[in-house]
Amino acid sequence: MEPVIETRNVCRYFGEDETRVAALDHVSVQIERGEFTAVIGPSGSGKTTLLHLIGGLDNPSSGEVFLSGTNIAEMSGTELSDFRRDHIGFIFQAYNLIPVLSAEENIEYIMLLQGVPANKRHERVREMLNLVGLEGLGDRRPAHLSGGQQQRVAVARAMASNPDIILADEPTANLDSATGVALLDIMRQLNEELEMTFVFSTHAQKIMDRARRLVYLEDGKVERDESK
Amino acid sequence: MLFKLAFRNIFRQRRRSLLTGLSMTGGFVLCTFSFSITQGSYGNAIEFFTLDHTGHIQIHWEDYEQRPKIYKTIADRDAVESILEKSDEVKAYAPRVFAPALAYAGNQTSPVSVIGIDAELEPTTSRIKQKVRSGEYFNEALTRNGFAKAMIGAGVANRLNIGLGDEIVLISQGADGSIANDIFEVVALVGTKDSYDRSSVYLPLVAAQEFISVGDQVHEYAMLVDHANSSEVIAASLQLQLDGVTPGATVSPWQVVEEAFYKSMQADLQGNYFAMAIIVFLVCIGVLNTVLMSVLERTKEFGVLRAIGSRPAQVFKLIFVETMLMATLSIALGYLLLIPLLTFLTQVGFVLPEPMEMGGVPFLHLKGGVNALVLTAPALIIYAFAALVTILPGIRAVSITPKTAMSSH
Ligand SMILES: Nc1ncnc2c1ncn2[C@@H]1O[C@H](COP(=O)(O)OP(=O)(O)OP(=O)(O)O)[C@@H](O)[C@H]1O
Ligand SMILES: [Mg+2]
Repeated sequence: MEPVIETRNVCRYFGEDETRVAALDHVSVQIERGEFTAVIGPSGSGKTTLLHLIGGLDNPSSGEVFLSGTNIAEMSGTELSDFRRDHIGFIFQAYNLIPVLSAEENIEYIMLLQGVPANKRHERVREMLNLVGLEGLGDRRPAHLSGGQQQRVAVARAMASNPDIILADEPTANLDSATGVALLDIMRQLNEELEMTFVFSTHAQKIMDRARRLVYLEDGKVERDESK
Repeated sequence: MLFKLAFRNIFRQRRRSLLTGLSMTGGFVLCTFSFSITQGSYGNAIEFFTLDHTGHIQIHWEDYEQRPKIYKTIADRDAVESILEKSDEVKAYAPRVFAPALAYAGNQTSPVSVIGIDAELEPTTSRIKQKVRSGEYFNEALTRNGFAKAMIGAGVANRLNIGLGDEIVLISQGADGSIANDIFEVVALVGTKDSYDRSSVYLPLVAAQEFISVGDQVHEYAMLVDHANSSEVIAASLQLQLDGVTPGATVSPWQVVEEAFYKSMQADLQGNYFAMAIIVFLVCIGVLNTVLMSVLERTKEFGVLRAIGSRPAQVFKLIFVETMLMATLSIALGYLLLIPLLTFLTQVGFVLPEPMEMGGVPFLHLKGGVNALVLTAPALIIYAFAALVTILPGIRAVSITPKTAMSSH
């Protein structure tokens, strides 16, 4: 089966000439369906840059990125937007829910973009809230939810569009350790029960302990890549 | 959901949105108000002279309207009248003849203009009957002394020093070149020293036709139509019909008959539009500022929307809908405020401390006018400018990269 995501010899440079930094240096990774992978490494090692590239948010300086078999270099801006909408879920470090929308509406919004009919949307919103254990809190605005609850809404939002993969850049960095671990348990459960593919980055030992594959970056290079 | 989102976004910065909204409401109300006043006063002016003497539309022979000559009479009256009778738009019409003349009474003389009018039809088309100050509105019958009846303007009465029952001698030239010369008896005084017809002598149509030897032909048909606003269109359609049966008859709407007035009115209205555009422009700078600020504040949010798969056009649309929604709310509030304001303006109006003159027509009372244009044009202008104003912030929002969403602060 073809990998969900594949990078081939990807480099990403920032700056010009002398000040040029190689955030990623000839990185080739394949993410298979159903993986639960942590991208780890010291600060500045290129984790965020890698997640940007495999999420179709940024283009490589050289090398190729294949999303579900399609080279993103061949996609137009709108195609890439639509691709992200239909195939990739995002969870952000700072939750990034739309503050004026309730939890339910935040989850619903992405399905609206996809053109899912209203009754299906509402049904799926309820389903998603149950999955992340937020029954009954759907009508609250983000400001009235704790950080952990907000991040669970973000997980539900990412799941709602039924993507091929969910990318999360330091999803637990803004949470205390117990809440972070609880969030990871939910993600892992979704991975095991629904075979949702997750790729996340983290600094925290307790979080990477829960991953089944570790991609270790250093100075933009893959230093180690081990599956448990 | 888009509307819900837009609506809530507007109410996020309550105070700022309120200020911006109120400035839009203010601009809108101001525009409509001044628009209503100009439309109202011009409406009054137009109504004044169309009902006083010009009618809404006139028919003449060839270029009589520009270069009047006694012999330029309308050839086929029956053809013209049958078309006027048949028309659904023409409410009333009246035939007229005109001639310059010299008037004598006692040892006084004065140049006058003789106007021959159909005693029956003329009151259906102009306010001639209401303008009779003293004496009685005339008819074709001769007076007890055997003279044809005449009604004279205030200026004529004054200069010749004559009144009711006095004789007036008119001398002119007939259409055939002969000398026209006859005695008439004054049966009514018409208008005031400011009236358009202060130097006129009205004669019954047949008497006037005989006096200037034009047979039963006339120089002019003046008419009123049901929809004065469509005078130009109706005139064009009448012209077409007349061209088929009596080529040479020329139809002119009041805009042509009162060309000087019409042009000065157009120029004035243009100035008015320009002033409105400036008001709206100033308001829109405020709106631009608000929208731009709200976009910059939400940079990250737009990044998130883009990251999770909103197309650039959808982000643009959100901002567009937000601005339009704000404009709509402001305009709705504006209409609420305008209800009492326009009611006052059209029903009561202002009394002017000094009479104002518009195209030669004096006004003592300033009233507003309300029509479809007054009620829609300012709102459309606000919408158009608001749409224009979203372009810049819209482009700004669209150019926010989805990567922004990932940054942690
Ligand atoms: N937009 C940018 N402009 C210039 N340099 C950049 C940019 N983004 C990243 N970099 C550089 O690329 C390198 C990798 O950055 P990246 O953010 O991917 O690291 P990271 O592993 O996510 O670090 P952290 O753990 O602190 O989040 C760093 O040296 C960083 O300074
Ligand atoms: Mg990072």
